[in-house]
Amino acid sequence: MAATQQRNLFGGGRQLIYPWLLLLPGLGFYLLIGVGPSLATAIYSFTDATGIRNIPISWVGFDNYDEFLFQGARSRDNLDALQRTLIFMVLVTVIQFGIGLVMALLVNQKLRGRLVFRTLFFVPFILGVAVQGLMWKLFLRPGGGPMDDLFGLLGMESQFLAGTNAFYWVIVVQIWANAGFTMVIFLAGMQTIPTDLFEAAAVDGASGWQLFKNVTWPQLTPAVNTNFLLNIIGSLQAWMLFLVLTGYKKGVQVLGYVVYAEAFGQTGTATFRQGYAAAASIVLFILVLVLGMAANAFVTRRERKYL
Amino acid sequence: MTTVNPVEAGSTVGVDLSAPPPPSASSRERRTRIFSYALLLILAVIYLAPVLVLIFASLKSLPEFFQDPTGLPEGLETANFTEAWSLANFPNYLLNSLIYTVVATSAFVIMSVFLAFPIARGYVKGAGAILTLYVVALFLPPALIPQFQLILNLGLVNTRPGYILLFLINPIGLIILVNYIKSIPRELDESAAMDGCGYIRFVWSVLMPLIRPAIATVTVIHAIGIWNELILATVYLTSDDLYPITRGLIVFEGVYGSDWPKLAAAVLMLMAPMLVLYLFLQRYIISGLTSGAVKG
Amino acid sequence: MNKLRLRSLLAFLFAFALIAAACGSDSDTASDDGGSSDDSSSSDDDGSSDDSSGDDGAASGLEGTLRVLIHQNPPGVEFFESFNDDFEAANPGVNVEMAVVKADDIPTVNQTRLNANDIDVTTISVTGFDKAVQPYMSDVDTPFWQQLIEAGLLMDLSDQPYVQNYDEAAIADGSFDGGVYSLGLGRTIYSGVFVNLDLLADVGIDVPTTWDELVSACDAVTDAGFKCMIAGGQDGWPVFVGTYGLLGALYPDQAGMVEGLWTGDLKWNDERGLELFDRYATYADMLDAESAGLTGDSAGPRFAAGDVAFGPMGAWMAGPIDDAASFEWTYIPFPGADDAADNQTFFGKYDMSLAVAAETPVADIAHAYLAAFSDPATYNDFANATNYLPTQPTAELSNTLGAATAPILQQGNFAIGQEQLYVNPKGAGQWAIGREAALWLYNGDFGDPVEAANQVQADLESGLAG
Repeated sequence: MAATQQRNLFGGGRQLIYPWLLLLPGLGFYLLIGVGPSLATAIYSFTDATGIRNIPISWVGFDNYDEFLFQGARSRDNLDALQRTLIFMVLVTVIQFGIGLVMALLVNQKLRGRLVFRTLFFVPFILGVAVQGLMWKLFLRPGGGPMDDLFGLLGMESQFLAGTNAFYWVIVVQIWANAGFTMVIFLAGMQTIPTDLFEAAAVDGASGWQLFKNVTWPQLTPAVNTNFLLNIIGSLQAWMLFLVLTGYKKGVQVLGYVVYAEAFGQTGTATFRQGYAAAASIVLFILVLVLGMAANAFVTRRERKYL
Repeated sequence: MTTVNPVEAGSTVGVDLSAPPPPSASSRERRTRIFSYALLLILAVIYLAPVLVLIFASLKSLPEFFQDPTGLPEGLETANFTEAWSLANFPNYLLNSLIYTVVATSAFVIMSVFLAFPIARGYVKGAGAILTLYVVALFLPPALIPQFQLILNLGLVNTRPGYILLFLINPIGLIILVNYIKSIPRELDESAAMDGCGYIRFVWSVLMPLIRPAIATVTVIHAIGIWNELILATVYLTSDDLYPITRGLIVFEGVYGSDWPKLAAAVLMLMAPMLVLYLFLQRYIISGLTSGAVKG
Repeated sequence: MNKLRLRSLLAFLFAFALIAAACGSDSDTASDDGGSSDDSSSSDDDGSSDDSSGDDGAASGLEGTLRVLIHQNPPGVEFFESFNDDFEAANPGVNVEMAVVKADDIPTVNQTRLNANDIDVTTISVTGFDKAVQPYMSDVDTPFWQQLIEAGLLMDLSDQPYVQNYDEAAIADGSFDGGVYSLGLGRTIYSGVFVNLDLLADVGIDVPTTWDELVSACDAVTDAGFKCMIAGGQDGWPVFVGTYGLLGALYPDQAGMVEGLWTGDLKWNDERGLELFDRYATYADMLDAESAGLTGDSAGPRFAAGDVAFGPMGAWMAGPIDDAASFEWTYIPFPGADDAADNQTFFGKYDMSLAVAAETPVADIAHAYLAAFSDPATYNDFANATNYLPTQPTAELSNTLGAATAPILQQGNFAIGQEQLYVNPKGAGQWAIGREAALWLYNGDFGDPVEAANQVQADLESGLAG
């Protein structure tokens, strides 16, 4: 269904120009602020740009990529960040998907108070990273915070956001904050399932699980796909919570944060390396593109199987 | 209760997993119900606990907090709220967040409809190419660095227009609109054109109402994104007068982070208006988020 | 249909690459052109007195808004707030807009605001200019303050009379390539430890002067039911104070140590290095578990509560401690060495170095501001309020910290610490900055000191080799 040009039905003269004229602001801004800079990133990645005005910029070829991917223990740290980015994506996507689905199934039943529960699960999503992050920073406060007390009761110990497992705690917060969104999409999908499908299956004596497997799940396909794609793309680019919860901490950063820190002097060495950071973001781009296309292919296959 | 419950109008469709009628199922139904409640309660605790701890902390004096960071407050130390309120310009932060969100979202949505319609219909040359441009861009990393140079050279760093400019794009939003418009029959255009309806009037007063679900979705997704943005606010806004809530809170944390009771009070004070706003708009937000998003 | 979509996608990516070549160079030149055009128009309005600048603070007839940036430091912020009020009162036409950010954010905010010509007086660096690239270093990144100077974004203050109010060492610290670009408002100690004298007396022990005495003092204190040490573990960096104390005690020649690490004469995992790491681990154990939940700013007041014997914290914490403590305290160099005579030096840095934006439209106000601040009486108040060791020869700390540190400082025993001297080689791994390792042992990033030392050395060498 690739759109081919159609005759404009709205007559000639000015009416022919209007579509173009009115399309221009949207497209123009998009090219100026979105696509243009995105493409320029690629160019930047071959320079030693600092981001400070008046400092001359020169071409350095593939040096930034070479340094980022191959030079010394630094590249090991970068590849670790890359790996962490992937782990973050997989864990967040899978767990958030699962929890969101369970939540949706739960609050979709005719239970008392389900509206309250639904609101409760969704609200964190709209609070924003600053509020989410600070709330959890207090909750996970080591040395006497609530979670610390709980760990103490269970005979466990953790430094939470200051310790080596900080990365996983950020994942917990990320899922806590966004599972409600996944739930809402699933709920909407469930509402589109015609009830007679359930009636028919029930008459055949299907159990709860069979109902889910044979009716709910296949009928949810669009919602499943939407969630799947949104989670993957979202989690690969999400790192604002890291900024709030851990700062630029060793052994925790994901690639998106590395880009920001290198470009804006947040690595602790206080140097501005926007060319290098641009190279890092191109690496991230390639990763997102490959995974996004793979996910898209997977989703398309699923669609064909179920619809 | 052996029949499937009729669908409630306007609210969740009652898809009860254990709905099937056989009489023997009723005990199973009860078990499912108990299990569901148990699970919901566990989840509720996980969702409420951080908020409660925040509320408790905000009602303690600093020494009391150090002695017992977690438990119930002894008294009600409301001074934290008044002090935090006087230390930072919270009403201003809220107002800024509102301005950025409302202005950028309305501008974006209106521009996008006029962009999406001719693309969906193929009324302009290269419509397919433009659409592909948006699809690919879904995966692009934020073009933070050149974008910064661009805004800098336009002299728009640390200005409201400059910050709003950053939010006039959103590829997902456009794709949702295009897909939705494709589901509106072309015959409509034809009959409108026959009636002598001009292009602008058609889009504005015929098409817009028809694609309201998609517009709602795009509006909500886009608005939440702006409301939550922290990175761009950090990079582009340097003056306290221009901070949105997110940045204002983090700066407040940087300065008063050692005083958790005060910080907790600040977080709560900025949370409250958001919650009220949400509760009022809940129906629109939820239906907005979903109506355009789950279509195949 | 799917195949078609994929093909158009690929075609598009190709087109993308083509456009990239064309558009990108476009936007590059655009950024070159636009660079200088920004605010230059608005700057000429008040053509009053550009050269009468820097007179003794009694500047009148000044008009405009002065934008000031400083970093978070509670007593410092408080002082500046009241100083700004005084300055505005003395110059009715002037409005001072001060922004306060976390020390971590100083580079970022400077980059943005100096780039946008959106700041007049800024805190250029919290570390001074010591971190210069040495001749024996190769292939390192230019430090950001140097980038800013080379880009012409900072003003050379050499001709300003108020600069001469500061001592030679301080002026030298703010100088680069023949110009003076920043005023170091104070020296601060980051290697000392606050001692609760009343508590030690209760337990019946003396103030420790050597490492062994510190270790046994800690045991005695905890046996008596008190806490040995706390630090602001939640922020991470406050843990470095004890770390830097140990480092200074074991490597009194800090500049030599940096050179040794670069040339390979010293290793983090040689004999002395391993000794250091071993003490790092002991120090990490000395810190009470409560530390993990304390921010840097809250550690001082917490120490002041009275049940903690030692507070390894920067000298800047003296004010909050003095305000809240109801016991006698002193401040000593971290007793990290075996011989008491080796524990007689404070290590630290220049802090809150102010600079003026080269393109500020209100240069006259900026100079008047700095001149007023540099007035000896005002400066003396500042030093006493913030507990910075004064960089003006006429100023003196007349408070508890001043008394506690005088015996050592009068001997001239203040030295710039390794944090200010060390530059990381490019390509070095994240663990290469070994002076921080006590924090990693504390956080559990490493299980034992030997493992940590080996990793640190390996990460450093990987950078040196590249």
